[in-house]
Amino acid sequence: MRIDKTHRGWAIATALLILLATLIYVFAISRHVSGAFGGTWAGLLFGTAGLALIIFHNLLSLRKKFPTWRIGRSQTWMRAHLWLGILLIPLVLYHASFTLGGGISKVAFWLTAAVIFSGILGAALQHVLPRLMTQRVPFETIYDQIDRVQAQLLKEADELIGGVESEAAKNGLLLFKNEGSGATAVADPEVAAPFAELRNIYQGRIRPFLQKRGDYGNPLYQRRNAKGVFFRLRKLVPAEVHEVLDDLENICEEKRDLDRQSRMHRALHAWLLVHVPLSYALLALVVIHAVIALRYM
Amino acid sequence: MANQELVSLTIDGREITVPAGTTVFDAARLNGISIPTLCHQQNETPVAVCRLCVVDTGMRAFAAACIRPVEAGLKVTTQSEKIEAARSTIIELLMADHPTPCVRQQHSADCELEGFAKQFGVLDSRYPKREKARPQDDSSLSIFVDHSACILCDRCIRACGEVRHNDVIARQNKGYEASIAFDVNESMGGSSCVSCGECMVSCPTGALTNKHVVVGQHLDRGVSVEVQELLALPVFKGVSGTFLELNRGAVVKRSFKKGEIIFREGEFGSTAYYILEGKVDIFIASPRGHVNTEQEHGGWMNRLKNKLVPRAQHQREGENLRQSYISIDAPVDLAYDNPIAELVPGDLFGEMTCMSFYPRSATVRAAEDCVVLEMLRNVLDVLQKNKNFRAQLDQKYRERALSTHLRSVPIFSSLTPAFIDRLRTRVHLDRFAPGEIIFRQGDAADAFYLVRLGFVKVTEEYPGGELVLAYLSKGGYFGEIGLLGGGVRTATCTALDHVEVVRIGAEDFTQMLQEFPEIDASLRKASSQRQQENQHRFQQVNSVPIDQFLTQGLMEAQSLLVLDLDRCTRCDQCVKACADSHGGVTRLIRDGLQFDRFLIATSCRQCRDPLCMVGCPVGAIRRKGSLEVIIEDWCVGCGACVKGCPYGNINLQEFPVMANPDFSGTPMKANVVHKATSCNLCHDFPEPSCVYACPHDAAIRVSPNKFFSEMLLQERPDES
Repeated sequence: MRIDKTHRGWAIATALLILLATLIYVFAISRHVSGAFGGTWAGLLFGTAGLALIIFHNLLSLRKKFPTWRIGRSQTWMRAHLWLGILLIPLVLYHASFTLGGGISKVAFWLTAAVIFSGILGAALQHVLPRLMTQRVPFETIYDQIDRVQAQLLKEADELIGGVESEAAKNGLLLFKNEGSGATAVADPEVAAPFAELRNIYQGRIRPFLQKRGDYGNPLYQRRNAKGVFFRLRKLVPAEVHEVLDDLENICEEKRDLDRQSRMHRALHAWLLVHVPLSYALLALVVIHAVIALRYM
Repeated sequence: MANQELVSLTIDGREITVPAGTTVFDAARLNGISIPTLCHQQNETPVAVCRLCVVDTGMRAFAAACIRPVEAGLKVTTQSEKIEAARSTIIELLMADHPTPCVRQQHSADCELEGFAKQFGVLDSRYPKREKARPQDDSSLSIFVDHSACILCDRCIRACGEVRHNDVIARQNKGYEASIAFDVNESMGGSSCVSCGECMVSCPTGALTNKHVVVGQHLDRGVSVEVQELLALPVFKGVSGTFLELNRGAVVKRSFKKGEIIFREGEFGSTAYYILEGKVDIFIASPRGHVNTEQEHGGWMNRLKNKLVPRAQHQREGENLRQSYISIDAPVDLAYDNPIAELVPGDLFGEMTCMSFYPRSATVRAAEDCVVLEMLRNVLDVLQKNKNFRAQLDQKYRERALSTHLRSVPIFSSLTPAFIDRLRTRVHLDRFAPGEIIFRQGDAADAFYLVRLGFVKVTEEYPGGELVLAYLSKGGYFGEIGLLGGGVRTATCTALDHVEVVRIGAEDFTQMLQEFPEIDASLRKASSQRQQENQHRFQQVNSVPIDQFLTQGLMEAQSLLVLDLDRCTRCDQCVKACADSHGGVTRLIRDGLQFDRFLIATSCRQCRDPLCMVGCPVGAIRRKGSLEVIIEDWCVGCGACVKGCPYGNINLQEFPVMANPDFSGTPMKANVVHKATSCNLCHDFPEPSCVYACPHDAAIRVSPNKFFSEMLLQERPDES
């Protein structure tokens, strides 16, 4: 979610709540003489509020699961999740009175930190990456369709190269034997050699790049290297083939876009793989912590 | 003959005696001497335009044997080196302006010109070819015209005029530009040609060929009917036997037992049926109801479900409860409450499917043992141009269908039987070929029209373009604005396909308004509403950059789903919410046109040119007053609108129902029906689900005006 001036109300409310919590904590700590702070009325208040917030934050998953339930707009839930998530930091700190405790408390503390940190990271990524993706991926497609689009690009490239070969063959430049691995020039070597080289580069570099998602090791993955490859090819083959090379270069550019989109999409959503399971774990742990604390201590 | 004067002459050294007035050509032919010719046929008046039949009569110049009458003592030579040279030159000149091989030569190898060219050894002409080929005309359903292959022999002109008395074909232009033409240079399909086939039989080259040769088509079911048997049927009275001979197999006789289904609604087909014996039932089996998104049991925790509900139970904004008849592709309309009717011998049904390949609009079942003729488009086309057949169909329409047709239009539901009786004899039943203009904007308004068959496109011109105001199908009407207003047409109406209309003259229209004030009031109200809608469209056109609107097809959108890509995390919650709202089938795709950082997602945008509305066989998809698309209860689920929408914004949804689908008295049974749906903006809720479910504040619904004039011009928040 992008944080902009429409969040001002939430920011002020959160700041006021933090101030209130701080005042309560200062008041409580001034009256506290010894022992664990979590067991005091103020500690319990912070703990209860924290637990309620953790439950609320976990409910966001449920909200997303049932997007049509008329239980408040999703973006309101999201804003609450974001800002009340920040409120969790002072509540946990005040509940524990800035001590780590031991056993479950300690684990819960670090889990909370991890969840909050991953959440902040996610918020930062969501703030930055969508715009980057819009700017850097002009041929963006639906993420689930990337494999299909990539297959289409490969088909187009194969057809382009096939077209060059058949055109050359028609003009009497019998270029290649297609059997076996690689290509062998069978016409006048001087005429056929550039075409054989084009085919070799296509089979050896361009085609694998178009075939494989990512293919980070391929020189074509970098635009600068790709420009070099195509510059060399243009020098090699007759001018009539340059138009085909332009098309091929555009196809590679589009494939790079798809790779970039894929990469950014993963970055945009990968943090959830950490944030969500840790949140569930945290919820389970704080419930156990609350039961133990209230029942046995 | 006994009293006729006889003349003796010599042809190639043979003494010949023939009646006076005989041509040299006929005299030679009667005595077994063959003279080559291209322009002359025995059953046509000779015109001597090809000059191939030249013979030497001892005069200064050669004479054309086909028009040269015999004279006593005339000595004729038909074969000599000089004559051969002259003929050879003529053929070579003709071959220079003739595609080799022409269509006829390719298919049946009997192009007369190319036969002679081969015989004279001039297949490759020395003369330069025409730089730009003359055009072809594929508009007729039966005959293919290739002007390039025409040698202007005039055989077709005489066949059409002298033999058939149709007088459709003539010559136009002169010299190098000369060609044959139909009526006043219409396309053959758009002309008054009745496709008798006489011209095509007469043509010596591939200029006029039977489409059976070009694209072979025949029916592979039913019993093929002999030409003589067909000609004996009253329905085929006046149809050319030549045509039927050439289109053997394009019409078959089929017998159906009582209860047998002839075709089902929604099926695609290419034939029409004419009932010879027995009766058939025609009905819509799909239950009447529209798709509505609602919560199953109420309450905010329940999922939304799609349900099929009739309009009596759930009325949508813009729903017309007064429409009590459903228009179908038959000479009858079906009542909304009980959509079944009976067709009798002499009725034709399935015309729209046959002529324009639209899906079947209703199911037809034999009510008793019956015999029908099933025919392809080329035969139906000829029948429709046949005056006898047309008169018969029109008479039936006036007697049986005009009343329900008028009443199927809610505005006219109050017309009295007496007034309809008066209209019966006074209305004109007009037909228009695809692309033909019914009237133009600016013409004088002299009639009111009801669409009887096909689709009419209504357009209005504005500086810089043409705006499609509506597509009208059977049951639609037009022409009232001009009559009620200043007497001038405010829009152009064009036949989109094969269109038939009922034309009510201005005098009768005025009479109707005087006699029925409620119709007058309703028409004026509807007319004013149409004008307001059109005004609304023009305001949209004028208030934003027109190129963006027109090129992107967004102009008529009521509400665009815009995604701010700077905010959108591509989580697809909007798509999921849409699918969850509509029984698992999403009505939006997170892909589409992109303007700067905004993506206009693919969901129904109520297009400027609503192509989805063209082809609906029962007229179930239309625009409401608000321009939003509404799909009526009688949608038969054929999918024509799904195919018609260029943006993939209409879906077919399945619904299990308990129904008695064939009105046959059999018990109710479980059945699956299909109904078309498109985005309805979740209008039962304060906010569309796609927007409601977006967690990132990226999705908004916005009017195109606001989007183009405000949002798109705003800079990014941190760039301002």
